[in-house]
Amino acid sequence: MKKVLLSLFFAFVPFLIFAQGFQVNLEGQKQIGMGHTGTALLLDGSSVFFNPGAVVNLSENYLQAGVSPLLFKSGFVPTGSNMQYNTADKVATPLSAYAVWGPKAARWKLGLGVYTPFGGLTDWGNNWPGKYTLTSLDLKTIFIQPTVSIKLADFISIGAGFVYNHGTVNLKRAIPLADANNPQGEAELKGSGSGIGFNAGVFIDTKTGLTIGITHRSKVNTKLTDGDAYFRVPASLQASFPSPNTFKAELPLAATTSVGFGYSFAKKWLVAIDGNYVHFDTYKALSFDYANNTNVLQDTYSPRNYKNAVSLRAGVQYKACDQLMLRAGGGYASTPVRDGYVTPEVPDANRGFYTAGLSYLVNKHFDIDLSFEYEHLASRTQTNIETQLAGTFKSNVYIPGVALVYHW
Amino acid sequence: MKLNNYKNILLSGLLVLAACKPKVDVEPASNGGVDFSAYIAVGDSQTAGYADGGLYRTGQINSFPNIIAEQLKAVGGGNFSQPLFSEAQASGTGYRKIDKFNADGTPSIVDVPATAVRSANPVLFTKYTGENNNYGIPGIKVIHTSIAGYGNLNPYFERVLTSSYPAANTTYLDYITAKPYTFFTSWLGNNDALGYATAGGVSETLTDKSVFAAAYSAVIEKLTAGGKKGTIATVPDVSAIPFFNTVTIPVLLAAVQRAAPSVTTLYVNARKTSDAGTATYEARAATTADLITLTFPTSKLGVNGYGVSPLNPIENQYVLDANEVTLVKDYVNAYNQTITSLAASKGLALFDAYAFLNTVKQKGLLINGVNLSAIYISGGLFSLDGVHLTPKGYAIIANEFIKATNAKYGSNVPQADINKYNSVIFP
Repeated sequence: MKKVLLSLFFAFVPFLIFAQGFQVNLEGQKQIGMGHTGTALLLDGSSVFFNPGAVVNLSENYLQAGVSPLLFKSGFVPTGSNMQYNTADKVATPLSAYAVWGPKAARWKLGLGVYTPFGGLTDWGNNWPGKYTLTSLDLKTIFIQPTVSIKLADFISIGAGFVYNHGTVNLKRAIPLADANNPQGEAELKGSGSGIGFNAGVFIDTKTGLTIGITHRSKVNTKLTDGDAYFRVPASLQASFPSPNTFKAELPLAATTSVGFGYSFAKKWLVAIDGNYVHFDTYKALSFDYANNTNVLQDTYSPRNYKNAVSLRAGVQYKACDQLMLRAGGGYASTPVRDGYVTPEVPDANRGFYTAGLSYLVNKHFDIDLSFEYEHLASRTQTNIETQLAGTFKSNVYIPGVALVYHW
Repeated sequence: MKLNNYKNILLSGLLVLAACKPKVDVEPASNGGVDFSAYIAVGDSQTAGYADGGLYRTGQINSFPNIIAEQLKAVGGGNFSQPLFSEAQASGTGYRKIDKFNADGTPSIVDVPATAVRSANPVLFTKYTGENNNYGIPGIKVIHTSIAGYGNLNPYFERVLTSSYPAANTTYLDYITAKPYTFFTSWLGNNDALGYATAGGVSETLTDKSVFAAAYSAVIEKLTAGGKKGTIATVPDVSAIPFFNTVTIPVLLAAVQRAAPSVTTLYVNARKTSDAGTATYEARAATTADLITLTFPTSKLGVNGYGVSPLNPIENQYVLDANEVTLVKDYVNAYNQTITSLAASKGLALFDAYAFLNTVKQKGLLINGVNLSAIYISGGLFSLDGVHLTPKGYAIIANEFIKATNAKYGSNVPQADINKYNSVIFP
């Protein structure tokens, strides 16, 4: 008579979100130093990412690699409380590496880029009030992009690259089922998948010091077809949570359209502005399809209803001497996450960012680039529509970076 | 320098940055001018932390007053002592737990034996002699609060008195006001209706409305003497609890029909009218408006026509029939009018538990990623007895008391994290 109806126990809704928070804009140390502008610049091999159409205009061949250890620090205070909960200190390591080659004075160049444009590393731990929505997330994507760039005329060139993405995700959340030894259960979802897309651009050199770039990086719909799902719950309920289980999901990594201008108004000075339009509105919902369903563990459909986002960036470079370039920049990015949809994976909000950088030219073939970026996310007080997680999020991001660049 | 050293420098630089945590600006905790330094909790089993059919140490530790007291520390709250059972006698008066699930998905619920019984006849529990701020006494009604010798009738009360059975003659009112205090919560009156209801309208009576009003006023008069501030709560609708909503007529009928498909009607012994006067009962066909108690032994059904024949209806004590439901609701509404008007006239904060639990029953409750409801076991709010709450349920009640207090007094007592507290424990 006392049938246990666990199906109402909790809405088991997995929860992957790709916000600007997951769009990791760290694809070249020189560009980071200039506020992550670069659509209309010819700084080094990272043009493979920033504008494939510009690659052919690089005066040399490049082989380079950089890393930008990233510390995303979030704090959360529940509504009605004065207790702040913080994410653990974890360092993510976005990478970028580029190779560019072409015969001198040819009308074409080839390029290869390997970079990590989306990712997230968040660890709230097992004892925060939102633990039933998320305890930790580790998301990595790596894009591989072979590229060709062609000069159509002296003033205009185009380029395009094919993008292959390999993504991995590991996501944990607590389950509100207690037994004598464990105050809560745990769900862990992990898997990997792949997707394809492209990156194309046009580069215009007006020969007056003004350069113009337009690019479009396509959506990369990454499909996880055979993810593993593990559920640890009280033994008497394990049958309702088949474990190990598998799941299917799609992670839509948003398209970005960019327009940029570069202007060298004096021999030692270069300024740039970029505008990006990120097409997040294709991200309507996230669905998870479990291979093995029970009355408790159902397939899920979570509305996301993202809106498109913009970012505006500006930067300046000053050539202090033959061996030293100094850079500074900054920008503003709007959030694609509407009110009511903010989640702890990345508690996204409108953000401002400030950057600085330098290059030390060791010799005529070898540069060391350093960069530093600080991002400040506006504090955001939210009650999530799906989980009713209510509170105020605030986040800061600190990103130093270093790259080694060889060119000939 | 090796590459590793560069890496170490970079990482240590990052860790320096790690020291700068984002600081979320929130309204600071404040007492709103209320002195929370000496808090006492007045009430019955819900206040005591009773759960799973018994009073035991874990339930006491997770009592809502203890959770409130922890939060009051941010606004000048002092030490809050409870009459805890010792570690050695942690099972206290005994309680129930889920042992396993049967093949049909029903839980097998077993008794955890009592360890704190010092006399079996009359039943007396191990004395508690230390400091006490939690005056929750399981079973107490408002009308008991001024009875000298009540301690001789209620072993939970006898347990905390300095005098012992058969000379436990202190009244509850004198007991709770003996020690100085600055702030109180009071959640009394539940048993004045619940006692009658859980007995199926037999062997217990509803406290008369005017008697309730007089007794409740006397308690509040005494508690507020000298202008003391406090937060009081209304009496929940008894039909909002799983004790009356788990074993239902449709569920029973379906079970009977599995064995005897021809049966279309169940019979209950029901009150003829909802008038408050002397009750007369008659057998009649059961409807969904008749509430069956969680304690109904379903094995009785069908034996000698039990429950399926008007000659052998489901007995009174297992049924809160439609007329009894109407009667109890009428009384509870009257009690709550008394409580509400007293809160207003005495300047006390009011937590409307009646409205809150009815809303939970109708809509459920989604808080910080957890779905809760008034459904037995899986709902997460109510413990295995179907009447009292789980630790998570008590934490939610604590937050409702805190919200009511803040709303009335302009204080900002921070709320507790309900997700620190568990629901029903599963094997």
